[in-house]
Formats: sequence, C-alpha cells, structure tokens
Amino acid sequence: MALSALREAPQAGSLDSWLMTSSQSGDSESSPDFAAQALPFADQLYAAAMRLAKNPSDAADLVQETYLKAFQAFRQFEQGTNLKAWLYRILTNTYINLYRKRSKEGFQSAIDELEDWQLGESESLTRTSGRSAEAEALDRMPSRVVKDALNDLPEDFRMVVYFADVEGFSYQEIADIMGTPTGTVMSRLYRGRKLLRAFLSEYAAKEGYDTGEKEVGR
Amino acid sequence: MADCGCEETRNKLEDYLHGELPQGACGDLEDHFQACPPCCDERDVGNLLTEKVKSACCETAPEELKLSIRKTLESSS
Repeated sequence: MALSALREAPQAGSLDSWLMTSSQSGDSESSPDFAAQALPFADQLYAAAMRLAKNPSDAADLVQETYLKAFQAFRQFEQGTNLKAWLYRILTNTYINLYRKRSKEGFQSAIDELEDWQLGESESLTRTSGRSAEAEALDRMPSRVVKDALNDLPEDFRMVVYFADVEGFSYQEIADIMGTPTGTVMSRLYRGRKLLRAFLSEYAAKEGYDTGEKEVGR
Repeated sequence: MADCGCEETRNKLEDYLHGELPQGACGDLEDHFQACPPCCDERDVGNLLTEKVKSACCETAPEELKLSIRKTLESSS
C-alpha cells in the first residue's frame, strides 16, 4: 500500500526513479546479506526518523517502511559505498513521499530566502565578552530542551544539522542524501545552527541564565 | 576589525567545525584562535552546540520494531 502511495506521490529526487524501476519483489538472493549489513543501523535510523516524524509511532512506521524499500532496492546498492548514507537517503525520500505536509514548505523556503542579518546577530564581531556565559548556559541545557529546539527548526534545516552534527556526514554526503546542492546544505547548516543557538539562548534567558545573547525573532 | 582576521575566521568557522576546511586553512584559523579569545569562545560554543545536539539525539529503536523489521524481511524474501 505504501509502495503504491510512493508511485503516485510527486517525485522529489532521482532516488525515486530508480526505486520505482527496481524490482519490487523476489530479491531473495540478496536478503541474508541485507539484514546483516543494514539492521545494525536501526537505532540510528530510528533517531533520525524521530527528528523527521517527531513521534515514536510514526518514526517506527517510517523506519519499517525504509527497511522494506531498501531491501527491495538492495541490488542497486553498490557494495563498498556508504550503506548508512544510502539508507538515510531512502528514509528521507520515504518521509517526503509519505508524510511531509505540503503546508510546511512555505515556511522553509521563506527561511532559505532570508538574508543572514535577518536571522539575528549571534555572530557579532563587536561583542568581546559573554561567550563563556553562553557556553556555560549551553552546557547546562537539558537534552529535552535541545530536542524541542531542534523540533522547532524547519525540517530541512533540522535534518542538515542532524546529519552534520550527529552523524558527522560531509556536506557532499548530506547533499546526496537530501538531493540538494552542497551550497544549499552549507547555507542550511549555518542557518539551522544559528537558529538553534538563538532558540536555546531564548530559552536560557527565560530560565534566567545569562548568555550574553539577545532574543532573535522567529 | 576586518584586518585582524576575525571576520574571515567567523566566515569559515562552521566549515572548520565540520571538517570541511583544507589543512592549510585550518592552520590559519588555529593561529587566529591562539591570539583571539572571542573567536576561541565562538569556536567553543560551536563545538558545544554539536555535542548538545548529539547527546539529545540518541534514541534507540524499540525492540518490537527491530523484531518486526526482521519478520518483514524474512517474509519478503
């Protein structure tokens, strides 16, 4: 059912075309290998799915669906290349096709089009003190707050930050996973981290830590 | 301000933190950090942000999910 949904959905990347042309059944000769190679990434894929779907039940569905698609397309995977990145690419595409709400995209591209100065001045060169205070506040920030702040980022920004900071993927790998140019990856990473920092500073200010930062408009 | 290297450092900082700068450029930034506490702080905040994001995103997949994936794969093969 989900596969037919994929077929009918608007296509977002080149992955889809080969997913669709790939054989949908009977790859039995590759199956033992697939489970052995791919299942160790279940925890990481689930953590990424939680960033995308934001709740455990949708995240579990997304991971399940990702494994099924990856299994069916496994013959297309080039052994010796990065399997984890390949799985993430399928996860991302599956999410886009099955879950992403159209309404979010307006906000996203609006942020892409903002000028840097409109995102606030956390990088001010004139400020010479207060960084250590920010570092201290950041250090004490509970994980729950960081998670909420991440969730508040527009999806593509959130995922670029996730792929770069949690998985340590290169700009090029992230570009391949997300089907965007590396320039877009870079700009979303800078902006995503800047926004995240601003959200966390806002939280810290509310909680009464002094970070030396001023609130940045959302 | 512009001639002390801060501006260039800030411009390259994210690439530096994410291992995307060539070796030579890293050296230039590191020299600058030695001499410039505010840029040093900026680097530390950047690194800390990465650490916080990393430690906030460490969910593990529920066992029943892993089991159900195995079952799906077995029944599909």
